[in-house]
Amino acid sequence: MTLSILVVTDQRDGHLKGASLEALSEARRVAAQAGGGEVVAALVGSGLSAVIEEAKTRGVNRVLVVDDEHLRAFSASAYAQAVSRLIPKLTLPWAIFLPDSALGRELAPRLGALLGAGTATAVVEIHADPAGKVTVKRKVFGGKATETLELKGTPVLSLRPNSFAVDAPAAGDPPVEKVELGALPVHAQGVAVEKVVSTRGDTPELTEAAIVVSGGRGLKGPENFVMVEDLAKVLGAAVGSSRAVVDAGWRPASYQVGQTGKIIAPQLYIAAGISGAIQHLVGITNSRCIVAINKDPAAPIFKVADYGLAGDALTILPALTALVTKSKGP
Amino acid sequence: MDVLVCVKQVPDPETKLRVAPSGKALDTDGVKFTINNTYDEAMVEEALRMKEEFGFTSVRALSVGPARAEEALRATLAMGADEAVLVETPPGMELDPLFTARLLAAAAADIPHDLVLVGRHAQDDEAGAVGSALGEYLGLPSYSFVTELTPVAASHQLKMRRYLEGGEEVFSGPFPAVLSILKGAKDPRTPTLPNILKARKKPLKKIPVKDLEAKVSVLKGGFQPTSAVTSFTLPPPRSGAKMLEFQTPEEAATKLLKVLKEEAKVL
Ligand SMILES: Cc1cc2nc3c(=O)[nH]c(=O)nc-3n(C[C@H](O)[C@H](O)[C@H](O)COP(=O)(O)OP(=O)(O)OC[C@H]3O[C@@H](n4cnc5c(N)ncnc54)[C@H](O)[C@@H]3O)c2cc1C
Ligand SMILES: Nc1ncnc2c1ncn2[C@@H]1O[C@H](COP(=O)(O)O)[C@@H](O)[C@H]1O
Repeated sequence: MTLSILVVTDQRDGHLKGASLEALSEARRVAAQAGGGEVVAALVGSGLSAVIEEAKTRGVNRVLVVDDEHLRAFSASAYAQAVSRLIPKLTLPWAIFLPDSALGRELAPRLGALLGAGTATAVVEIHADPAGKVTVKRKVFGGKATETLELKGTPVLSLRPNSFAVDAPAAGDPPVEKVELGALPVHAQGVAVEKVVSTRGDTPELTEAAIVVSGGRGLKGPENFVMVEDLAKVLGAAVGSSRAVVDAGWRPASYQVGQTGKIIAPQLYIAAGISGAIQHLVGITNSRCIVAINKDPAAPIFKVADYGLAGDALTILPALTALVTKSKGP
Repeated sequence: MDVLVCVKQVPDPETKLRVAPSGKALDTDGVKFTINNTYDEAMVEEALRMKEEFGFTSVRALSVGPARAEEALRATLAMGADEAVLVETPPGMELDPLFTARLLAAAAADIPHDLVLVGRHAQDDEAGAVGSALGEYLGLPSYSFVTELTPVAASHQLKMRRYLEGGEEVFSGPFPAVLSILKGAKDPRTPTLPNILKARKKPLKKIPVKDLEAKVSVLKGGFQPTSAVTSFTLPPPRSGAKMLEFQTPEEAATKLLKVLKEEAKVL
C-alpha cells in the first residue's frame, strides 16, 4: 500500500509559482522522512498543457489533472470540488499540500471543510512519522510565537512561501492522468474574471520575494525613493515601503508592508529610513534576517533588526548598490 | 439585503505574550483583550458603508467565544450594527478555525444573511481559514482577499476586486456568499459615546455552544476540533541589532555585505 501526498499547485499566472515548487520539493522530503510514499502533483484549472510539462520535471511520481473550461476563473468552491475528484485516485491519501499563495490560502480551508480534515495555513515546518502522523509548526501572534499542531484525517496544509528549499528539476517521465470535473454544485458556479490588473512591473511580488528592500519617510522625498528601487534591482529583490510613504503619495498602496499592508516573510528584509512602528513590525517579524538603516541609533527598528547601520540612508543605499553591482562583475 | 459580520475578540497585539503552564497555549492570565480584531473592524466598516450606501436592511454581528467576547459584539453594535449573537463557549473549550467555522455555520443558519463577511485573519491564530471553510459549510460561494465590493441586487451578483500576487483581479460572482475583506474603502469609524451607550440596549442574544451540537455534528469534521496544539513557544527575546561601526558609506556597505554573506548566509 502506498501512502500519497497530493500537491495542489498554483499556476494562476500560467506557470508553477515558486511557492508551488517549494510545496512539491517539501512533499518529496516528507515522503522520504516517513519511510517512503508517492508524491502526486494535482493540476487544477483550464488550459494546463504547458504547466503539465513543467510539473513532470519536478520529481513527482504521478501527475493528476483536472483541466476544464469551468475552472478558468478561480473559485475556491469549484477548485475544492475538482481536487476532491482526485482523492479516489490515491490508494492511501496521506496529506494534501498547497502553496500558501492567495489561491492556496483560500482553497486549503475550503478543501479541509469539504473533507472534514485537519487544516493548517502558512505552515513553516512539517514532520511525518512512519506511522503517518503529521505535525506542523506555524507562526502566530504576528510572528511572536510558534505553535505545533497535530492534525486529524488527511491533513490539508498550505506552505508559507520562502520557508522550504526548492530542489533542482529532475529527469523522468511520470504518468499523467486526466480526470473529469463532472457536474458542479450551484455554489461552485458563476464566477467570472473581467480583468487582471497588474500593480507592478517586472519586480518580484512582495509576498513571494526572497529579498525585500523597503523605504520609509526617512528618505525625505519621492525623488530619493529610487535609491531603494535601485538597490532592489541589483539584488533581484521586491520593493516595499512603510505606510508613511504611501500616505505621502510617493508610492501606491500596493507597496505598503505591515498591518494594513502586506505581511511578508523574506529571507532578507532591508528597512531604510523606517522607524519601526508596531504596525510596520507585524508585517516583517517573520523575516529570517532584518537589516535596518536609520539615522537615529535609538529607532525602535533596531530592537527587532539583526544588523543595524546607524547612518544616512541617502548615502548608504547608493554605496550598497554600487558594491553589489561591482561584486557581480561585468 | 441582510449582512452578517463575524467578529473575533483577540488579545491586544501589544500585549506581552507568556506561555501557559500547559505549554500548549497563550497564558491569558492578565492579558488585555482588544475590543475586536483590527481586520474585523475594517470589515465591519465595509458592511456599514454598504448599508448606508445601498440602503441594506440590517447588519448583524456574530461571534463564537467565551463570555468576555460580548465586549467585541457591543463594540460592533457601537460602530453601528443592529443586532448581535454570541455563541458562548465554556472556559477552556478548545476551538480551531474549522471547528469555529462549523459553529458559525450552525448559528448563521438561523440568522438572515445575503452576505457573510469575515476579516482577513484573526490576529491571534493568523489562520485566515474561517471564511472559505464557512462558505463550504453553508453551501455558499466564498471570495477571499476582497478589496472592493459592489452588490447588484437585481441580478444577485457581486462586482468585486480581489488581491492576487502581483496585482488584483476584477471579477464577479453570485450571492448569497461569504467574503473575506482584505481592506475596506474607509478607515474604521470610532464609536461615539452616545453610540456606545445606545449599543448597550441593542439586542444581543446568547446561544450556549451545546445548543448547536446536533447541527454541527452532521457537518464534516463534527463537533470537535480537527487539529490540536501540542506546543506553544516563544522565541528567545531578540537581543537587538548587531550594530556595524563605520566611517564612510562605502565601509558601511562593505561590512554589511560581508556579514550577510558569511554570517547570516542570506546573500
Ligand atoms: C491602524 C494603523 C495601521 C497602520 N498600518 C501600517 C502599516 O501597515 N504599515 C506601516 O508601515 N505603517 C502602518 N501604520 C503607521 C505606523 O504607525 C507609522 O506611522 C509608520 O510606519 C511610520 O512610517 P516611517 O517609519 O516611514 O516614518 P517615521 O516614523 O516618520 O520614521 C522615519 C524614520 O526615518 C529615520 N530617518 C530620517 N532621515 C533619515 C536618513 N537620512 N537616513 C536614515 N534614516 C533616516 C528617522 O530617524 C525615523 O526613524 C499604521 C498606523 C495605524 C494607526
Ligand atoms: N471565534 C470567532 N467568532 C466569529 N468570527 C470569527 C471567529 N474566529 C474567526 N472569525 C472570523 O474569521 C476571520 C478569519 O479568522 P481566522 O481564520 O481565525 O484567521 C476573522 O477575521 C473573523 O472575521
